[in-house]
Amino acid sequence: MSSAALTHDSNAHPSAPPAVAKFGMIMFLLSEGMLFAGLLGGYFVLRWSEVGFPWQTGHAWPRGEGVPALPVFLTSINTIFLVASSFTFHFAEAAVAKRKSGLAWLFVTIVLGSIFVGVQCYEWWHLHHEGLWFNTGGVYGSSFFVITGFHGLHVVIGVLLIVWCFLRQLFTKCFTPEYHPALANVALYWHFVDVVWLFVLTLLYYV
Amino acid sequence: MSAITAEAPADTSHQPHDHNDHHEVGFVQKYLWTYDHKMIGLQYLWTALAFLFIGGALALGVRWQLGFPGAQIPIIGQLLPSTVAVDGSIIPGGYNMLVTMHATVMVFFVVMPLLIGAFGNYLIPLQIGAGDMAFPLLNELSYWLYVLSGVILVAAFFVPGGAPGTGWTAYAPLSSVAAYNGTPMGQSLWCIALFVNGLSSIAGATNYITTIVNMRAPGMTMFRMTLPVWSLFITAILLVLAVPVLSAAAAMLFADLNMGTSFFSPAGGGQPLLWQHLFWFFGHPEVYIMILPAMGLTSEILAVFSRKPIFGYKAMVYAMIAIGFLGFIVWGHHMFVSGMNLTLSAAFSVSTMIIAVPSAIKTFNWMGTIWRGSIEFTTAMCFALAFVSMFVIGGLSGIFMASTPVDLFVHHTYFIVAHFHYVLFGGSIFSIYAAIYFWFPKMFGKMLNETLGKWHFFATLIFFNLTFFPMHNLGLGGMMRRIADPTVYEHLRQLQPLNVLCTIGAMGLGFSTFLFIWNVVISLRNGKKAPENPWHANTLEWTIPSPPGHGNFAKTPTVYHGPYEYSVPGMDKDYLPQNEPAPEGARLESH
Ligand code: HEM
Ligand SMILES: [Cu+2]
Repeated sequence: MSSAALTHDSNAHPSAPPAVAKFGMIMFLLSEGMLFAGLLGGYFVLRWSEVGFPWQTGHAWPRGEGVPALPVFLTSINTIFLVASSFTFHFAEAAVAKRKSGLAWLFVTIVLGSIFVGVQCYEWWHLHHEGLWFNTGGVYGSSFFVITGFHGLHVVIGVLLIVWCFLRQLFTKCFTPEYHPALANVALYWHFVDVVWLFVLTLLYYV
Repeated sequence: MSAITAEAPADTSHQPHDHNDHHEVGFVQKYLWTYDHKMIGLQYLWTALAFLFIGGALALGVRWQLGFPGAQIPIIGQLLPSTVAVDGSIIPGGYNMLVTMHATVMVFFVVMPLLIGAFGNYLIPLQIGAGDMAFPLLNELSYWLYVLSGVILVAAFFVPGGAPGTGWTAYAPLSSVAAYNGTPMGQSLWCIALFVNGLSSIAGATNYITTIVNMRAPGMTMFRMTLPVWSLFITAILLVLAVPVLSAAAAMLFADLNMGTSFFSPAGGGQPLLWQHLFWFFGHPEVYIMILPAMGLTSEILAVFSRKPIFGYKAMVYAMIAIGFLGFIVWGHHMFVSGMNLTLSAAFSVSTMIIAVPSAIKTFNWMGTIWRGSIEFTTAMCFALAFVSMFVIGGLSGIFMASTPVDLFVHHTYFIVAHFHYVLFGGSIFSIYAAIYFWFPKMFGKMLNETLGKWHFFATLIFFNLTFFPMHNLGLGGMMRRIADPTVYEHLRQLQPLNVLCTIGAMGLGFSTFLFIWNVVISLRNGKKAPENPWHANTLEWTIPSPPGHGNFAKTPTVYHGPYEYSVPGMDKDYLPQNEPAPEGARLESH
């Protein structure tokens, strides 16, 4: 990947070329992936050494009576919003590539992302109401809130970044088919947050 | 986040100007908030050296207590916070705080920032022929996150309960239950500090990888890169993959302490051992993070002052890649006594012994490099040679401990302490000194004083061995780590003279550092002016003025061959800078 042409004349410290910025973003996301791998891996170890694998007899999760179950149905619906938002973001990028503003798709993405955050907040509130919190339900509560908390924080940051892209595009029309690294990188981040969610969903809610 | 960085510097970019014309910028823009990788490297250098003093002072506290248990510390004893010392004597809880803070400071705030923050920042763009890092803003951000994390850590001394005292490894449940450690606030600050420090590391590593992959000068193929750059490249990959796992663990520990979660508490279905696995999954790659750049820097210096090409350049690179990879599958060797499955423990023994192979390859290649060279014993070279010798001692004790049955006896004794000080002080710190003596002329445009340098070198070498060699004997004699007063144990009383010896050595080591400071101060003030290329070295940083101007290269250099073309047969001068085409008839080592 030696692309000597990219060596920039840093006298003026121009911003990194789009391809380089994208490469950097991917490196950053790799480390983000390891953060979630650590959290989910820890959860995996704790849970399976506690109650065995789902196909084993005697597997019961959460352990104990009266521990509220997670709202699996609601969350599945919510997942649709998040996954859809990845597509709408992609449409926004495609629109920009065709020299359109992409604002409408960005707006839809922001709405979908916000709905996801809203539903997750409701879920937290609801579970708290039912008696599940960081400090109840043992590892069950701990993992659920810490992992969805970390993920939720990433979604919130993502939504804010998309709002930032939206406002920039709205006021300065700065994204052109040739040059829109900020948009491309926020998109990468957003897809990443989406994929992580599928892991979180599978491990925390479905199995 | 690169999305932001990619845009932001554009807003603040200066007008293009002439290279050597440093147009006036204010103090803040020049020294505090700068986008110049060289200045950021120096920011790291000075800050980390300041932390070296904090860490060293803490270590002297530890040694004082072990050498003369319960004796009042002269002069400063009365000034210490009451959580550490009462009436000038260190109390057991305070001793634990000193040990913990010493190690945490040294690992995260001295060795990593010096090797990676200072030399990584300074050397990578210069040695690959780039004008700067890929993301200058992210780079500066990474520095200030480092400073912030340092402030948070040191603040732990001043909160109720005092600093954490659970060791740099912070094993649960001691660390995760407030009633056990008595310092929940300090321990929480420790978690936050490491989390923020991790962000800084990741920002830096992302930047390094991107820069090295994308911004090399024309002709600078991967296998024409210098070994320091290669080592920093592999280190950066390790950082990206390992550090976030520590961040996750620190977050869990913080939650256990403050939010009532039970990740590490059996009562709620958690497991203390989970902490050990997460910590060492990070921890072992971490020790290679602290040695790979040291190996890279040393290789460079050995080649220059032997006037010979690196012996087995590619083998050096592949060995580092192997070390980086294997580093992720050996973490269990820290946990042999944790009650793990014996088959698993055998597997970790084997993988650990295998990792010694690439380390040995490197050692033999260093010997091959200096073999029959025309060695110049500059201070930098002395430190580099000492690095190799000390690293061998540390590596050998490592192999002993890799064997489960042996480790069952020496685990958690001073034998381990001896081991990691040979690799971390004798290794990493010696290489840092070597690198400072070597690159100081480039960084500051002044030569360091060689006579003082030699004094500094011999004092450091002698006192280092005086301090740490007896620790092997102490460990084999049964002295445990992290005990505040060895004399309360019957079986350790006869070993007390060795402890006194170590303490005297440590004081000498502390004293030897002042020779270094003195050298830096007088050389900065009236040292000899450094020419462009004082060591007749080949790498690109020596082809431009000392110190280099803003933007580094007046014209992007073109690279014609590898970096270690010394004493090339068929040439008059004994070196060949990377940006000079080889003359007719020269028989090059590299392509
Ligand atoms: C030849 C290669 C090496 C081998 C085979 C090796 C092996 C080991 C083993 C088995 C232990 C665990 C001992 C115990 O706790 O019972 C250990 C501890 C340690 N090693 Fe190494 N090691 C090697 C190189 C290094 C290097 C290069 C570094 C750092 C630059 C390093 C730093 C450490 C540290 C800091 C510890 C102690 C951690 C703690 O418990 O606080 N080692 N080593
Ligand atoms: Cu290890």
